[in-house]
Amino acid sequence: MGNEEIFSFLITLICYMFFKSLYHKKKILFFSPVLICPILLIFLVDYVPISYQAYEKGTQLFTYLLQPATVAFAIPMVKHWQLLKRYTIELLSGVIFGSTFALFLTLGLSTIFHFDPIISNSLAPRSITTPFAVTIASQIGGNQSLSAAFVILTGVVGMVGGTWIIRLIRIQSPLAKGVMFGVGSHGIGTSKAFELGESEGTFSSLAMILSAVLGMLLIPIWVGLFIKI
Amino acid sequence: MTVIRVVLQVCICILFNEIGKGLSQLFHLPIPGHVIGLVLLLLVLKQEWLRMEWLEEGAEWLLGELLLFFIPSVVGVIQFKALLAENSLGLLFVMGVGTLMVMMVTAWFVEQLYRYRRRGHHGE
Repeated sequence: MGNEEIFSFLITLICYMFFKSLYHKKKILFFSPVLICPILLIFLVDYVPISYQAYEKGTQLFTYLLQPATVAFAIPMVKHWQLLKRYTIELLSGVIFGSTFALFLTLGLSTIFHFDPIISNSLAPRSITTPFAVTIASQIGGNQSLSAAFVILTGVVGMVGGTWIIRLIRIQSPLAKGVMFGVGSHGIGTSKAFELGESEGTFSSLAMILSAVLGMLLIPIWVGLFIKI
Repeated sequence: MTVIRVVLQVCICILFNEIGKGLSQLFHLPIPGHVIGLVLLLLVLKQEWLRMEWLEEGAEWLLGELLLFFIPSVVGVIQFKALLAENSLGLLFVMGVGTLMVMMVTAWFVEQLYRYRRRGHHGE
């Protein structure tokens, strides 16, 4: 590895660790590492003489770890197996209904706005947790980076807007609150759901995992059909 | 000690990922390797061939630091600056209004289903 690559690796790690601990103390949305780190690092790659190719190469270990992280989703599933079995019907139908609606709304709006295919294909899996979304995006002709950025913005909107929706349409059951966050805004929304309560958070993470696995199987098929229409 | 344990447990997740990738390639499956790895791990844990304690900490570390792993991917949008600027308004609409609509519809649907099923169970 050259100097540029080592520097890219270290600066990403330091930036993440610094803002993670700052966000832990201050809880200001803008300091969330998910928002501020990409912004700062984009400026860095743009304004100092580091090529994006070198940055990408230096940080490929992090990107690789997205894959084993997907495998790790088995742990919360086994842990909450009883809950998963007890609410199979509610969770599955909520996830299927919500993520199908999400996909077709996104595809429909993409058509209305005349997005470039690379944008609309990266946008399609935006409600799904990043490690799955980037794979789906590349399978259907989107781009991993665009997809990751859209997933994050979707998550942040859901995290901020979720509690407002709960009040607006008077949602009472922790199940509905959890599935709403998990389906609509994946991991970022799930962190908010855990602030509302343990059961909200658990339902949210289960809904997130289910919609990721379902999306992985169904989105490529749905997108194929939609393009034919 | 803890660090070594977590690293070893992360390696178990990596191993399952690589096995999944191998199977996906070998049988030309349309499902990506890491998803096959997830299903395999789920199976192995449910069959109790592998104990939860042997990889719990490593798996939770991977899930806890998930943000770090996709930051580099997001930085890659730098390659699409012009394209994004051109479509920024539409994208903001899809991400803003679209996300809130999805969440509203999903929450409403599950709430109705939950109430309906609960009434059914109690025979009211």
